[in-house]
Amino acid sequence: MVDGRIDVKAGLLEPKIDVHAHVLPGEEGLRQSDRLVAVADKLGITELWCSAPIAGGRMASPEEIRRNNDGVIAAMRRHPRRIRGLCFVIPGYYTEAIAEVERCLAAGMIGIKLYNQYKIHDPAVWPIIKLAAERRIPVLEHCAHLTGKTLAEQPLTSDGADMARISERFPDAILINAHIGGGGDLEWSLRALRDASPNLYVDVSGSNLEDGQIEMAVAELGASRVLFATDSTMEGCVGKVIGARLSRKEKEMIFRLNAADILAKQGLQPFYQTQAAGTINGEASADAV
Amino acid sequence: MLFDLNAWIGSWPFRSMWDNTAPAMLERMDRHGINWAAVSSLEAIFHRNGQPANEKLAEDVAPYSRRLFPLATINPSYVKWEDDLKYCHEKLNMKGVRLVPQYQGWELKSAMAVKAVQACTERGLLICIPHRLEDPRQAHPIDPGRTVEYDDVVYLLRAVPAAKIVLQNIRVTPAINALLQPDLIDKEWYVDLALTEVHFNQATLSFLDKVGGKHLVFGTHSPHSYAGSALVKLELLPVAGDEKADVCYRHAARLLNVNLMETE
Repeated sequence: MVDGRIDVKAGLLEPKIDVHAHVLPGEEGLRQSDRLVAVADKLGITELWCSAPIAGGRMASPEEIRRNNDGVIAAMRRHPRRIRGLCFVIPGYYTEAIAEVERCLAAGMIGIKLYNQYKIHDPAVWPIIKLAAERRIPVLEHCAHLTGKTLAEQPLTSDGADMARISERFPDAILINAHIGGGGDLEWSLRALRDASPNLYVDVSGSNLEDGQIEMAVAELGASRVLFATDSTMEGCVGKVIGARLSRKEKEMIFRLNAADILAKQGLQPFYQTQAAGTINGEASADAV
Repeated sequence: MLFDLNAWIGSWPFRSMWDNTAPAMLERMDRHGINWAAVSSLEAIFHRNGQPANEKLAEDVAPYSRRLFPLATINPSYVKWEDDLKYCHEKLNMKGVRLVPQYQGWELKSAMAVKAVQACTERGLLICIPHRLEDPRQAHPIDPGRTVEYDDVVYLLRAVPAAKIVLQNIRVTPAINALLQPDLIDKEWYVDLALTEVHFNQATLSFLDKVGGKHLVFGTHSPHSYAGSALVKLELLPVAGDEKADVCYRHAARLLNVNLMETE
């Protein structure tokens, strides 16, 4: 509640959908997915939308990209009631990228993950955005308004202004500006997004736990466009939302209801609605291996 | 019971903050169930002569002296800093100091830093050193974006083995093993929970497996960071009983020489 006493125990029991998580390819990836689900159990995270992107802007081969996505599919199969997949592609491989998205969707993935090989508004990315809009699936874009040395290292990282620009061209696309706490000037990006399409969301993941960021996101975009996520900062990000000066309803929207709305556009239900009671918060998950 | 060893009041130059006055900090602590906090002044970091800001801090927290414990910010590169340390300790009854070399143009691996740590240690004062105050990936153009690392603390502890040092806001990584070497493992050094992860960080789990709560304290980095994040980590911390009480408040009380019975 606004200005009420923070109740951590109750907050941990709230079901949560983490729209930004990662798994690795290969056997190590499967073990990592077990750890991810085990920690999610402790935090009340009932489902995780996972991807295995090529980070740092590197132009990997289509074969390597497929291997990474296969790692996500393997994690989905290992934890079918906890992990959903986001298909990573590098849009410049036009033919291969479209085919890879179709392959991953056929395997049960529910969205697309893009990193910083291209700015989101680069015309090379448009066919991917168009496909996502047609299929009503979300596109999670690695974002930050970087400054200084970090910007020089990753100049094609999209920020809030880039996201607002692409949302003007594709207002029906479900776009997620990743990790407002993922580094970079989050106030800059949130201000840049204030007039963007209502189909553009932000996720709250990232290791920056700066106080006030969730409240600012809600003030700029409205609570219906703010999504819970961790990007591996699991306890920190749960704590950000629990600690934010927001109403209980707004926190519910962030923790799960907004992501459930995104799933509903594909005719899917969130796992917390179908999960047996007692499968989170320290109990073994239904599909734990 | 909770003792937050990592709190601030005052203005941060690069963004607006909530809860950055003494009364607002008290309300914030009440909202989060935190009983006591060690606070220092943000202005004292950035002013050339930080001593007036230290004195203003003491004045601001005086009405709440049972719950807020001021820490002096000492800049050993500034002339007559020894006088500031003496005054803050002897006249203002401060129980510890903050060292923030990142914003003051000096290094921890230096004779100057060793002299300051030695002076604090001779007075029995706790030394709190933040790894960072803000994420360097969003650094303002005039923010150097520098950080303090584990090896800085290793250097200081080898130079002043009796020092009591808390390295705040650092992420636990395998680099922490430098502090677990035989000559340092029983020294008075600590890290806090403010900005590290616990369960999805193998380095933290390994650290806790080796030493439990022996070198861990509760800290929130309020009001810079959400206190809720540190509370979630504390709630799920894989230590229990007396060890958990050490992390929650007993280490802090001992390090600051505070008798908590007298604060009730």
